[in-house]
Amino acid sequence: MESFVVRYRNLLVLLALLVAQILGLAMQVRRTNSGQAADGRSVSLIRYWANSIVSPPERLLHYSGTGISWLWNNYIDLRHVRQQNADLEKTVDRLRLEQAALLEDAKQGQRLQALLNFQQKYIYKTLTAQVIGSSGTDQSRVFYIDKGKDAGIERDMAVITPDGIVGKVRDVFPHTAQVLAINDQSSGAGVIMESTRIRGILRGNAAGQPQIEDVIRDQRIKPGEKVLTAGGDEIFPRGLPVGAVDSVVNDPERDGFVEVIVKPAAHLDQLDEVMVITSTERRFPPDQQQDMAESEALKGAEAEKQKTSEGMAEKLPGLIDPSLPPDQQPLKDTSNPNPVSRPPVAIHPDRFTPLSAATPSVPTPAQDGQGPPVTGPANAPATPKKKPPTPKPQTSQPEAKPGTTPPAAPQGENR
Amino acid sequence: MSVLSAERSREIEIHRYPVLVYALVPTLAVVLQAWLPRLLGRFAWFDLPLVVTVFFALSRRNPIQGSMLGGILGIFEDALTGHAIGINGIAKTLVGYLAASVGILVNVENYAIRLFLTFVLSLVGSATYFFVVRFLLGLTSDTNWLTELFKAVGNSVIALMFFPLIDRAKIRD
Repeated sequence: MESFVVRYRNLLVLLALLVAQILGLAMQVRRTNSGQAADGRSVSLIRYWANSIVSPPERLLHYSGTGISWLWNNYIDLRHVRQQNADLEKTVDRLRLEQAALLEDAKQGQRLQALLNFQQKYIYKTLTAQVIGSSGTDQSRVFYIDKGKDAGIERDMAVITPDGIVGKVRDVFPHTAQVLAINDQSSGAGVIMESTRIRGILRGNAAGQPQIEDVIRDQRIKPGEKVLTAGGDEIFPRGLPVGAVDSVVNDPERDGFVEVIVKPAAHLDQLDEVMVITSTERRFPPDQQQDMAESEALKGAEAEKQKTSEGMAEKLPGLIDPSLPPDQQPLKDTSNPNPVSRPPVAIHPDRFTPLSAATPSVPTPAQDGQGPPVTGPANAPATPKKKPPTPKPQTSQPEAKPGTTPPAAPQGENR
Repeated sequence: MSVLSAERSREIEIHRYPVLVYALVPTLAVVLQAWLPRLLGRFAWFDLPLVVTVFFALSRRNPIQGSMLGGILGIFEDALTGHAIGINGIAKTLVGYLAASVGILVNVENYAIRLFLTFVLSLVGSATYFFVVRFLLGLTSDTNWLTELFKAVGNSVIALMFFPLIDRAKIRD
């Protein structure tokens, strides 16, 4: 047995290493299939170690490169050019070099200006970061940025550029963070097509192109249509540009479904600066905040006024007619610009005069108990007081019979 | 007969290097592998950790050390990707083992043999990687063998410059 182990020691060690890694793979795959998106603790630890080892020299290389470039452009190259300044042709070459450098600076300035404009347009709280490294393989579309936990970066924060969305933060380390690009196979973002309003999930395919999956075949989907974030994934805010439809291909696995290949709006393979959305709560500029405060104050004053008038109306029963529905109350009746508060006074009231005292010989339905009581408006004025009868037989008004009640006098009227 | 046995030749031709080289060179390879593709984009046709694995496996001629170095470098590479850890690990473990096993049998001082071995082992590494991705994990992958061929050529060219450079740090008895 011992000789077997010694003889095949190399092969046994190889097998042990391979089996251990295959088991590790199986455990990771099982974890992913069970819906646990985050890595296990041991895997996270390995990623953390790797990042801790690789990131510092990577940052050093990045900033050294920038420093050397700066040193070259500002000292060595100029000194070298000055030494050969006598020759006009070389001077022209130098100027061309400087022009190229300036052009690069101008491009960078434009890029930064675009970033600033974008921040002002999309008023989410963002953090600008520089891309410092990649995964090192074209099978995995992740990259590293120079901001980490110490800058407030958290897992699943959206990463964007002024052109469009880029990806989301996958892992956060103290000073760096790993970003999963939208063209990676394991990524996912809710998107919507601008004109057809068809929704879907954006993922990367094997070729590294983002594509919308789970889309039912629809003739309206045409190349060139804009694709925006749908906002349902709780990562990307709604309405950010994603890209445009590049082509539509049939889903090889499911009939009736298509895969919409999207040309990303952001240049995913040429990223220098990106923005991380650290807060999706809308942050309004000061002038808009002032407008909103004024509007709220006005709204509050208006509500207070209405409440007061309603309270007064309740306390003044004379202003409310219980027989009328609430919307036809005198206080609220605005249809008539000159509301009549009282009926006109009859010059010669008789028994046909409205609201005059009825003759007792003609019972009203209320009086004989066969109908509802007829009630006039509570504020209806009484008819004017009848003048003492004058001995003028020529009048057309019939004489009041003995015992009849003369029409009520205005009594100074309802005031 | 002047022909040495494999065991004898292994004892004679094992190369040793300062500890710093063992620590720095693989680390630098992983760092550069993560940094250079940013500058070169899709033209980054090389795999520096694989070149380092092949170099040390051929020099040390110890399959166990070759396998372990390959495995560690592969796992580090995997840790920098968003994928499951172990895909590159398995591929480079196998490459390290094969390189060391072949190193016992052939004269690794010959540059042509080193170049050829680097080229072949790069292709073996790529094939193992895609085997693991497609058949063990069941994932779809965009296998472009022309790119893998360019990568193998790139690795060979780097090996041509890198091997003599590191050989200078060799501890001579």
